[in-house]
Amino acid sequence: MKKVLLMGQANVGKSVLFNRLAGAHVTESNYPGTTVDFAKGRMRLDHEDVEIIDVPGTFSLEPKDRAEEVAVKMLEDEKDATVVCIIDASKMERGLYLALEVIEKGYPVVVALNMWDVAKDGNIKVDAKKLEQILGVPVVPTVATRGEGLKELVLRMKKAAPAEVEKIMKNVGVKSGTHN
Amino acid sequence: MEKKLSEMKYEEKGRIKKIDKSLRAQIAGMGIREGKDVEMMTKQPMKGPVVVNIDRANTSLGLGLADKITVEVER
Repeated sequence: MKKVLLMGQANVGKSVLFNRLAGAHVTESNYPGTTVDFAKGRMRLDHEDVEIIDVPGTFSLEPKDRAEEVAVKMLEDEKDATVVCIIDASKMERGLYLALEVIEKGYPVVVALNMWDVAKDGNIKVDAKKLEQILGVPVVPTVATRGEGLKELVLRMKKAAPAEVEKIMKNVGVKSGTHN
Repeated sequence: MEKKLSEMKYEEKGRIKKIDKSLRAQIAGMGIREGKDVEMMTKQPMKGPVVVNIDRANTSLGLGLADKITVEVER
């Protein structure tokens, strides 16, 4: 079965999004050898059942604690998975850091700009279309708590494709090897 | 004036000037890098962590980490 991993930092709405997508077909699991829990479920994607996994929140792919270690391991174990990177639209910079790390590993990625309403209320304007052009992966604004944008997110999961870091750097005008 | 992040006072604001190389990658995922504006929100007693506001988000940092970050404070 195809797998979809939901990844993001803590408190960006991963689990809300997960519950919305997986509906009632949820099982709670323990990652082998750890006490770190994660939820697994199923959803329909393109007339096909896919497994959807709620990965523990992590700041980056350089793990600093047990839960982050599990998150990184889960990603490494699922080489063929599609990854939905969930970013808190009101905290773009740190969210993008993780998303870029996942893109760099070569996974097909879709970015969900969650808490779109919170960003809007805070007068934070994010140009999702432009970000999509720069990253070369689908970028979808969502409000998971109200179910907004989820339909589009699922539709665009099918279009998730690996992006090239070199291209992204070119798009933002960074020459490779010049950043530290 | 320059001081360590760990030496900043409650409500003091500044800009991150230098981060020890050893922890740059470790905290980049928290949105902490050189050039970012910070405000000290809380300091916990007993050598507890500090809580700083960066990009409208509160982030807690262990005192050991905060010791290795240099900040140019306002005024």
